[in-house]
This record gives sequence, structure tokens and C-alpha cells, in this order.
Amino acid sequence: MAQLIATAPTAIGDTAAVRVPWSVKMRRLLRSPRPYLALLGIAAFFLAWYLLVDVLKFWRFRELPGFVASIREWISPNPVYGVSLFTAEYYSHMGASVYRVFIAFVCATALGIPIGILMGWRRVFYGLTFPILELLRPIPILAWIPLAIILLPGRELPIIGLTFLAAFFVTILNTLLGVQSIDPVYFRAAKSLGFKQSAILFHVIVPGALPYIFVGLQIAMGACWFSLVASEIVSGQAGLGYKVWEAYYYVQFETMVIVMATLGILGYISSAFVRMLGNRLMQWRANMLAGVQ
Amino acid sequence: MTASSSVAATVATREAPVRRSRFSRWLASWWSLNLLLGAMSIGTLGLLWEFAQPLGIPGVKEVPPPSEVVRISADLLGSRLYWEGWMLSVQRITLGFLAAQIVGIPLGLMMAMHRNAFDTIFPIIEILRPIPPVAWIPVAIIFWPTREMSVVFIVFLGAFWIVLLNTIGGAANVDPNYKRAALSLGSNQRDLFWRIIFPATVPSIITGMAVGMGIAWEMVVAAEMIAGRTGLGYLLWQSFEINAIAQVVVCMISIGIAGYLSSEIIRQLGGFAAPWRRTH
Amino acid sequence: MNRGIARGGALSFRHAGKIYDPEGARVVALDDVNFEIAAGEFCVVVGPSGCGKTTLLNAIAGFDQITSGEIRMDGALLTSPGKPLLPGADRMVVFQQGALFPWKTVLWNVTCGPIQQGKLSKKEANEQATHLLARVGLTSIENQYPGELSGGMKRRVEIVRALMNDPKVLLLDEPFRALDALTKSVVQEYLLELYDLTPKTVFFITHDIEEAVFLADKVVVMTTRPGRILKILDVGIGRPRDYRILTSQEFMRLEGEVRESIHDEARKAFEAGEREMAT
Repeated sequence: MAQLIATAPTAIGDTAAVRVPWSVKMRRLLRSPRPYLALLGIAAFFLAWYLLVDVLKFWRFRELPGFVASIREWISPNPVYGVSLFTAEYYSHMGASVYRVFIAFVCATALGIPIGILMGWRRVFYGLTFPILELLRPIPILAWIPLAIILLPGRELPIIGLTFLAAFFVTILNTLLGVQSIDPVYFRAAKSLGFKQSAILFHVIVPGALPYIFVGLQIAMGACWFSLVASEIVSGQAGLGYKVWEAYYYVQFETMVIVMATLGILGYISSAFVRMLGNRLMQWRANMLAGVQ
Repeated sequence: MTASSSVAATVATREAPVRRSRFSRWLASWWSLNLLLGAMSIGTLGLLWEFAQPLGIPGVKEVPPPSEVVRISADLLGSRLYWEGWMLSVQRITLGFLAAQIVGIPLGLMMAMHRNAFDTIFPIIEILRPIPPVAWIPVAIIFWPTREMSVVFIVFLGAFWIVLLNTIGGAANVDPNYKRAALSLGSNQRDLFWRIIFPATVPSIITGMAVGMGIAWEMVVAAEMIAGRTGLGYLLWQSFEINAIAQVVVCMISIGIAGYLSSEIIRQLGGFAAPWRRTH
Repeated sequence: MNRGIARGGALSFRHAGKIYDPEGARVVALDDVNFEIAAGEFCVVVGPSGCGKTTLLNAIAGFDQITSGEIRMDGALLTSPGKPLLPGADRMVVFQQGALFPWKTVLWNVTCGPIQQGKLSKKEANEQATHLLARVGLTSIENQYPGELSGGMKRRVEIVRALMNDPKVLLLDEPFRALDALTKSVVQEYLLELYDLTPKTVFFITHDIEEAVFLADKVVVMTTRPGRILKILDVGIGRPRDYRILTSQEFMRLEGEVRESIHDEARKAFEAGEREMAT
């Protein structure tokens, strides 16, 4: 994942960046073909689903849950299999999964970012921790399930632990890359300016690494959902991952589709939230990139 | 005089009064310090793990110590089941991974070249992408005639998103000056693509491949554990079910090694595919 | 010259030398450099790539250490092989590629030095900063980020940031290299204005001969690797200077003299295949 720190606009002639107002951008967008093509693409997908499964029942597609049936189930107040927007079970599974992801993600961030920064900043710490990291990282997260179940008590902790682990590695790595990506000239400037070590940490290292850190957090969020679903399928009793599998097992395919879609939506919202938080914290990048039009 | 050697020189001279023994200078150099610290930390953890039982470290003492893991691995390496598992997992990875490249790279290039294609396809991709590939497993089982194909499909799905995004990113970021230079030198659209845009995208594609390979291993393990009946992932889960934890650890390490090796191979191949990126 | 008197900052180089990797490749960056810079003097070092001018600057700044000889400031030993030097605000640097923190506003960038060192309160620093920025023609940009500024604006901000620390020596590492010719001449004039206002010792390196003679009281010409002093010229042109002197007889004579001594060195450097340190 390269190209994270956009370079400042190279001006032909010495002009400062001009900010384009949001309303102008909105108007331009609506006049371009873009939003309509987007709708076209999305509609094409659902149309294909509908045609292949509901209408043509072509080849293996006839085994799949129908588009119309799934939607109907989702929005029905009295769903056939008990899971829809109006049932409590839907939200209890959602709540269980969201709760686990939230805890795991927050812990991974709270631990991973400081460790990553320390690794990038202090050579001795890096030397001690990097080899362990590189040894453990290639092991797929799911391969840890047995150990997680053995090492961590109860049923919740292993699932949260695995989700945490996935996000943890990603966060550390990206934070480390972020610190390493800071141009050494900023450190020189800081030293000449008489910054103490704590000032260098807060005013150079953390802001400098932040772009990479936030990319890492978005990836970590995706990793969280992935390991959550997998560990819920393998060893859970509640949650969206568990429900997907249960729905498959009891041949409640429409429910299965509903849960998949829900996972997609939650995944998207959580990543978008992280991204927006990043944009807020890095006003300077937003301004800089906004000017490049 | 490169910037890095001048920085290295800075470190060396700043810490030195005029004369130093060769050993202490070697010690102060980057690599040796890292080596020493790495050996220390891994060694310490290894020892703690080995003696977890007598030391009474909670949790870890339930896990068989390294000595037993090594012993079991000797057994496993002799068994046919183990190597069959390797082969099957690698086979699935290869198929799924290749499929992801074959579909993802051309699609990505097309999307990067044609704005309308991008605007049509990208939104639906962004809607489908957040659904974890593992959640697709039941659908894959239902849809594909064999379990084998379902597993390969999940591997494909996992790698596909990464390949697509990296290809689009690489192609879209080709320096416009290269395109202008080519056009002013009289290149037509086809040449522009094959001789300028495609080669410039190759490094990003390689990166996408290396990352995609790591993801592919995650997927194959997940799919094998949940839906497969053979392979390293399945072996791992089976070992757990029969409480052969040392075997579980061996499987974990094997898969880790496999994942690492495959990513390394990709990176080396990448060096061949894009030789202009090697800096001396 | 009726300017104020500079408070210290006289530099003296005695047999200064720098050898990289003495046990191995043995690259001689600087070889027996001897010269003096008086307090408040504007000294420009010119030379082809690889002549060690950046090494010299880094040695004064404290980013690099000399391996032989000594550098003195105001008579006292600044650094020598036995006395490593740390960077400090008394020898403030304006970097070639720019080192304004992109994640902080212009005002923060400019005032951070004195505030972090505890020398000024926030209010005082802000006032001084606004005043200095106005002097270089920058008003109401205090709350913008460096990424929103043009190249010429960023250079001026960085010079103001350096001056806010009231250094004894101001070090500038090819600061105007990336500017187009017109912007360059405007920013040069702003620099000279500030210099005339509060004279400090200035150590300025460049490869642009016209810029060197235009700005300097003293021009030091260096050879390509190993870096030695080839020639030292005193530029007698009075201050304040503006662009009109560029076509005066005296200026052209001095420029010609520098150009002649440098030309052969430039060819040598070129043929030795020196790669520029900066791209």
C-alpha cells in the first residue's frame, strides 16, 4: 500500500493552492455521468442475481437463495426464519459481533500504536521485538484458534483474542512503517529547534506517522471482521458469523444472505468511521489535497 | 556519496572517540546489534515456553514445550498425510491465486484506463468487498459442485480484492509525463498501454500479489478448517479435535513457513519482472 | 555599512577535514579547510557537486562530525574529533528541501523554536512571528498549513522560523534551488532585507554563481572531491543591494572571476560522474 503521503502540488509558476468549495464539487459531481454509472453498476449486479436465480434458475444458481425472497425476508415484520430488521434476534447477534469487534479493535489500537511507535523510535526496542513479530506474523490468524481456546478462558475471550491479534499485527506494522516513513530532515529540524525528546514524540513522530497509522487502522478493521466471522463460525454461540453458519446448516438461505449483507454494511460503516476520524485528525492533509483540483 | 552512508558515518563517528577496537565497532553497527537483540528476545521467550510447566506460567503450561513440538514434527515430517496436506493446500492456493490474477489484473487495468468502466464497476465492488470472504463460505458450498471448488473460490475471493485495488492504484498513478512523452514520440493507444502503462503498473501488481498471497493463506486455512476435508488447515483442526496439541503447533509453524516462502517467491519474481526497480 | 553590530557568531575553520569510512572506502569529503568568517559576515560557499560544502554545513550545524582539525566559534572550540557537536538553535538551518512540519500551521512552525526552548511566551512569540512574516511580505497566512503555500512562500516562512530563534549563525543549504528564477530573485531580496535589519553570520551554500556574488560579503570557492578551498573572494559591493547591481561592472567582474575558477572544477566533477546529493 504505497502512495500514502501525497507530495505537495508542484506549481507551474509560484501559486498557492486554491480551495474549491464543497457546493461546487457537489454540482460538478451531479452533472458528470459518475453517480448514474454507479447506480447502473449496482443495479446490474442485483439484476443479474435476480435473473440468474429467481427467473432463469440457471445451472447451480437455482440452489442459491432468491433475490426477491431475501429482500422480502429482510424487511418482513414476521420473517419465516425469525431474522429480519424487525426481530430482536437479528440485533442481538449484531450486538454480540459489534461488541467483540469494538473491544478487540480498541485494545489492538491502544497497544499496537504505542508499540509500533516505540519500535520505530528506539533501535533497541526494535531489535528486541521485530524478530518475534516477523516470526509470528506469517501464521494465519485462524491457525491460532486452537491455542486461543487453550490459552484463554471461556468462550468470549478466544474470539475477542483472535480478532485482537489480527488487528494487532496490522496496526503495529503500519505504525512502524509510518514512523520509518518520516523524512529524517524533520528530526534534524526538531533537534536544531531545541525540541526535547517528548516534544519530538508529540510534534514530529506521532503526527508524521498518522497517515500510515490510519491506513493501517482501516486494514485492521477489515482484519477484525474477517477473524471475527471465522472464529465465530468455528467456536461461537452467538454473533453474525455464527448465525451465517447456522442459517446455512438449517437451510435458511435467505437468512444467510441477510447476515452476509449485514456484515458488509457493518464492515463498511466501521472502516468509513475510521477513515473519517483520520481525516478529522489530519486536517492538514485534507486541506492540502483539497487544493489540488 | 549516498545519503544513507553519510548517516551511517554520522552514527559511527559521533559515538567514537578516535580509537576503537574492531569488535566494539562491529557491535555498534546496525546489523550486529539487531542480531544480538533478536537472539536474546527469541531465546528468552523460547526458554520461558520450554519451562512453562515447572515455572507454572498460566495457560502456556498447557501447551506442549518446544522440545516436544520438535519431536512430534520429526514424526509428522515422515507421514504421508502431512505432505499430502501440504500439496493440497498449495494446489488450492495456486489455483485460487492465479484465478484472482487472471480476473483481477485485466479488470483493474481496464478500470484504470476507462473512466466510465471505473465509475460503473467500482461502486458495486466497494459494496461487496466489506463482506468477509469467510462469510461467503456457505454460499460457495451451496453453489459450487465440489468442496474443492468452494475452497478455491474463497481463496480467489480473498486475493481478488487486493489484486484489483493494487492494479487500479498502480495504473492510475502512472506519471502523466510518461504518457505525454510517449504520445509526443508518436505512440498509438495500444503501444501506450502495452509499453508505458502496463510496465509502469507492474510494481504495484507485484505488491498486490505479495499481499494477496498472504491473504490467500489465511483464506485457505479458514476454508479448509470450516469446509474442507483435506489440507493443512483441515489437519490443524483435526489435530485439535483429537487433542494432539503438539501437532497443532507443528501445523501452525508449517503454514507460517509456507506463507512466508510463497510471499518471498513472489517478491523475488517481482525483482525479475521489474528489474528497473532494483537499486544498487 | 551602517547596520547594527552582530552579537558573536564568528566562525573559524582550522585544518578541518572529513573522511567517511576511514577503515574501508576512505572517502575524503573535506581536506584541510582553513578560513575565517567574521561575526555578522555573509559568507557563501560555491562549488560543484561533491565538493563537500554540504558536509561543511552539516559539521557546523551538528548533523555530522569532522574527523580532523577544529571549528571554533567566537574563539571557543565548537567541535573537533574529540568533541562531538549537537544541533542547536544557535546554529539554525534552513534546509534545501524544506523542513516545515506539514502537519502544523505556519504560525506554530515559526514560533515552535522559542516556545519549546522556553525563551518566549506564546503571546510574545506570536507577535514577533506575525511581525517578521509581514516583513517578508506574508500576511494572514498564519493559520494555513505549509501544504497550501507556494514554494516561495514556504522558503520565506522557513527563513523566518530560523530567524525567530535568534541564532548566532544562520545556515542555509541551497535554499532557493527549487524556485524558478523570478521567485528566486524576489526571495533573495527579502533575505537581504532581513539580513540588513539584524545582521547575523550567514553560511550559505549554493551552486549558483550569480546568487553567490549577489548575496555575499565573502565568496568561498571549493574544489570537487576531495573538497579543498580553491579561492576566497571579498565582495566589496555596498549594502543595501538590489537587482540593479546584477548588471554593474564590479558585479560582472567578480562573477567572472568566480566562474573561471569554478569552471574547471565543474568539468572535473561532471566527468567523475558525481551524482547530485539532492534530486
